[in-house]
Amino acid sequence: MRWRHVVMFVLAGSAAVLIVTYGAGKQAVLPASNMAAVLGTGAENGYAHADGPRRFRFPRDFGPHRAFKTEWWYFTGNLDSRHGQRFGYELTLFRFSLTPHAIRSPSPWSTNQAYVAHFAITDPSRKRFHFFEQSARGAIGLAGAQAEPFRVWVYNWSVQAVTGAEWPWKLHAAAKNVDLNLSLAPLTAPVLQGDHGLSRKGPGPGNASYYYSIPRLDTRGTLSLNGRLFSVSGLTWMDREWSTSALAPDEVGWDWFGLQLSDGSDLMFYRLRLKNGATSPFSLGSIVGRHGHVTPLSKAEVRIRVLGHWRSPHGGTYPARWRLSVRREHLILDVTPMLADQELDVGVRYWEGAVNVQGYRNGQPIRGRGYVELTGYASSETRH
Amino acid sequence: MAAAVWRANSRFLSRHPWQIFLAILGVALGVAVVVAVGLANTSAIRAFRLASQAIAGSATDQIVGGPAGLTDRLYTRLRVKAGIEASSPIVDGYARAADETLHIVGIDPFAGSASADSLGGVRAGAIRRLLIEPGALLLGSATARRLGLKPGNRMVIRCAGQRHTVTLAGLLPHTGMSAAQDGLAITDISTAQILTGQIGRLSRIDLEVPRGIAGRRMRARIAELLPAGARLMPSQARTGAMIHMTRAFRTNLTAMSLLALIVGMFLIYNTMTFAVLQRRRLIGMLRALGVTRREVFGQVVAEALVLGAIGTVAGIGLGIGLGEILLHLVTRTINNLYFVVSVTRLLVTPVPIMEGASLGVGATVLASIVPALEASGTTPGNAMRRSTIEQRTRSLSPRLALAGGILAVAALALLALPTRNLIVGFAVLFMVAVGMVLIAPIAVSWLSAIAHTMAARAGSMAGSVLGRFALRGITASLSRTGVAIAALMLALATTVGVGIMIQSLRATVRQWLSSTLQADVYVTVPQLDPSGTPPEIDPRVVTAIRQIPGIAAVTGARRATVESSGGLAQIVAVDFAAAQASRFRLVDGNRHKVWSEFDANRAVLVSQSYAYRNRMRVGARLHLLTDRGYRSLPIAGIFLDYGSEQGIILIHRQLYERYFADRGVSSLGLYLRPGVHAAQVIDAVRAAAMHQQMIIAESSRAIRSASLKVFDDAFAITGVLKALAIVIAVVGILSALMALQLERSREFAVLRATGFTQGQVWGILTIQTGFMGICAGILALPAGIVLALLLIHVINRRAFGWSMQTVITPSVLAQALVLALVVALAAGLYPGWRMARTSPADALREE
Repeated sequence: MRWRHVVMFVLAGSAAVLIVTYGAGKQAVLPASNMAAVLGTGAENGYAHADGPRRFRFPRDFGPHRAFKTEWWYFTGNLDSRHGQRFGYELTLFRFSLTPHAIRSPSPWSTNQAYVAHFAITDPSRKRFHFFEQSARGAIGLAGAQAEPFRVWVYNWSVQAVTGAEWPWKLHAAAKNVDLNLSLAPLTAPVLQGDHGLSRKGPGPGNASYYYSIPRLDTRGTLSLNGRLFSVSGLTWMDREWSTSALAPDEVGWDWFGLQLSDGSDLMFYRLRLKNGATSPFSLGSIVGRHGHVTPLSKAEVRIRVLGHWRSPHGGTYPARWRLSVRREHLILDVTPMLADQELDVGVRYWEGAVNVQGYRNGQPIRGRGYVELTGYASSETRH
Repeated sequence: MAAAVWRANSRFLSRHPWQIFLAILGVALGVAVVVAVGLANTSAIRAFRLASQAIAGSATDQIVGGPAGLTDRLYTRLRVKAGIEASSPIVDGYARAADETLHIVGIDPFAGSASADSLGGVRAGAIRRLLIEPGALLLGSATARRLGLKPGNRMVIRCAGQRHTVTLAGLLPHTGMSAAQDGLAITDISTAQILTGQIGRLSRIDLEVPRGIAGRRMRARIAELLPAGARLMPSQARTGAMIHMTRAFRTNLTAMSLLALIVGMFLIYNTMTFAVLQRRRLIGMLRALGVTRREVFGQVVAEALVLGAIGTVAGIGLGIGLGEILLHLVTRTINNLYFVVSVTRLLVTPVPIMEGASLGVGATVLASIVPALEASGTTPGNAMRRSTIEQRTRSLSPRLALAGGILAVAALALLALPTRNLIVGFAVLFMVAVGMVLIAPIAVSWLSAIAHTMAARAGSMAGSVLGRFALRGITASLSRTGVAIAALMLALATTVGVGIMIQSLRATVRQWLSSTLQADVYVTVPQLDPSGTPPEIDPRVVTAIRQIPGIAAVTGARRATVESSGGLAQIVAVDFAAAQASRFRLVDGNRHKVWSEFDANRAVLVSQSYAYRNRMRVGARLHLLTDRGYRSLPIAGIFLDYGSEQGIILIHRQLYERYFADRGVSSLGLYLRPGVHAAQVIDAVRAAAMHQQMIIAESSRAIRSASLKVFDDAFAITGVLKALAIVIAVVGILSALMALQLERSREFAVLRATGFTQGQVWGILTIQTGFMGICAGILALPAGIVLALLLIHVINRRAFGWSMQTVITPSVLAQALVLALVVALAAGLYPGWRMARTSPADALREE
């Protein structure tokens, strides 16, 4: 008789697991995937385009540019706890204009502004990657962006200037078992990427974005993870970009590197990939020296060798280790993810992860940390 | 042996197909009514439950506010300040599109969680249109088809007194629960705010609260943010409360349907008794051949079971068909009185069918027990004699009457119990009804004795021999005639009882309407959802109306749904002067003190049903969830009201505005100067509201008749059920007469052979059936009055908390008598014709 009870128990247990998994999966995935599709469509005429040089002014350009269709605020950083634990974090806030002009309606809920945010924590010591997504309309204070005082937020996830001051900015994001509170202060001035901030992505007029970065922000604060509170400090990289039709039709995705090196220099490079697997000639980057001197990098100046791959359990194979060489700078860097699986299985699936850097400059060992973003590897996969 | 018994009996039954057919028809009709009412009830409720579940999705809890709903700000605070992720704001309301009532549900597609359930599977392009096109909506494909719409099409809808052009942006995906999508229109929350006129307001916020400690923590965090007047409660609580409101209505219907089944039961009893009587010879022979009592008993019950089973199966099929018709009547009443539910299809669910089946088979077996005992109880020799059963029945009738009397007394004793349970009330009603049925046979023999003497006194009359002859026949065959009369009596008594009850209630309501509707003209905004707070009249329209010449005074009232210590209740805020207090008839409270307390904003009044339901008296305190939190107020008086089952709380406008952030007016009463015609003012009111809002302006007379129309609609289903009971009773009479005809064919053959003409035999038959009808009619009158008193003072009181005057008009009673006579005579036509036509030789040859 005993074994029958055991079998019953096992059956009941697996049924419960099935129900729980199904229930959880449905909630987490369905709305997000839907909203990504909702926000990703629509014609491009009527919007402003990144089609010429621009005079960047701050703090105005910290804020939103609603005439453009898409825009983002990217914050990625590597943190150390006081007791030597490593963490990576990402907080990204995307803004979308659903129509070129505002919608006329008496309801305060009506808006053409939509926001999506991603929040992720990499915990390499426990080999855990936590990621979350939220979306909101830019109305009734649920989400929004403003230059003065600076604030960008999606519900309770926000980056904002402390009242009255330009810096530092407070970054806050919380979800389920994770709560992150950071204070950010820039160590470098904004770096205008591409051609004085105009970052061409393709041959067509308007296949471009406006793009600037602050490669180093001094970061300190707290991270609460599964009920444990860590005091953390480290460096954050901020990227700001806005555009209407950035990618050319034959571009399928990009590999983006943002690396902070131990000699005080910072390297940014993105490789735009074409449908045929080749690298687009519009790929580019920059090196910012210790004293803020910016050296643009063209496609030809950076060689990237993929040293390893990682297969996503959700489909798609990502490159997973790289060797970057910049001959002009006498720089060879091996870039290794802190954790293989740093894929965000959200509306549009992509990989964004903390990396370690080791290499040589002029034959001298050099180390570094940074973030890598890989998009377009999962796009051929069917969503849930 | 058993096989031989079966064969013998089945041969017998196959020779009497009419009897079999009528018995099956009786069961089938009874079961059909039970199944139909059950299905109609459950369909309406299930549709409502499904629809509200589909909208709530996976939400476990919800935040609701007072009459004005919640502010947008609360949602922003929840999400941005407290980071309550699993929350979705909802704005809902009702709109009219062509002949459909649409439930407009505005959601925030970004909110994730619960609202995603309603958008799962919707094309991205359609969701995008919801967001960027004010007026875009999604419909279920069945609803879109009925409205003749394809994606991209526009239509005009009316909502909160305004016309709006909306666009069908897309279709809701097909799901297993298409019933839940019926009449549902999903829009973006901004569109819903515009359509329903609730700019800046939310109807509720749905939440997914996890179980356990995390959930408790989350609830506590939410509770801290809630403004006074907002409440966190389980999602299905309100749905449950609304369904509960219809309970009395549904119980009444179920009781009516059971009555039909009981009438059907008599038919089975009748048929089985007849079958036993007819086979007395066969049974006697079988017993003589060694068949045991038990076998005979089993045989009779088994036969009944077979008939019952066939009747039940047929009844279920019939019931599903009938259910479609009843569903329409049930939903109309629910939509008029309780809440909006859109049901276009009968949901055939197993429970009502199983109930119908078990009641059908159970009732059949129960009804066959007496004849089965009869058949098995006699000795072989006795069974062959025909007179035994008649004699036994006659000697039994005093005992039956005694049992009936005891049952009735026991029922009245039940009434003394300190309970207000409606089911107990119905038990009393049924016990009294059955008691009266048991008394019927002895009453019939008394009546026939009386008729006998009367016929003897009028001895010289030519027809007296025939008359006496005919009356003898009835008393002589009491076992069947008695039952047939009892069945007809019960059906008629029901008609009389329900008729008197409806008449009394209608007269009371009519009187109440004329004393309540004292203004000459009333102005309201069309309201589609009887459970919600009615839309308010545009303040600009109110101002314009006040300036219309010819109006002496304008009173405003606000009707809203609020949470009180007695559950959801309607609150009515009035700003009239005490002079108009005569509108309200007090049933409790000191007339002078009541209004001075009320005017001083120190107390409220409640309606009789509210007081009854919540066991409150004058002086008790009422707790009201206001926008400033719970407030307690004393009850100064209790007034008569028939407008709401849940009851009404009457509050002074000033006090209402102090407690609720709501300045709306939902109705205006206009008092005209002498000599001013209502029609003129109504035209002026319509002109004043033109281009601003669609309003309803009607004279008090029009409202009175419209209200009575709603009243009559609510009782239309009762009329249908009553008619069905009569039909079953007619089948019963027909069946009894057919049995008599068969049994007495030899007797009539002898009469014919001794010189009676066809016409005279007809005459005998007609006198007999006419007498049966009159008996049933005469007995039905007192029985009906007793039932009416129970319905008025027990059932209605317990169901609705209403008291009413008892109005018995001669016409209801006369109608019952005429109906009895007509029904009996009509049922006697065919058997009479057959008996008269039979040639004596043929009939005698049977021996």
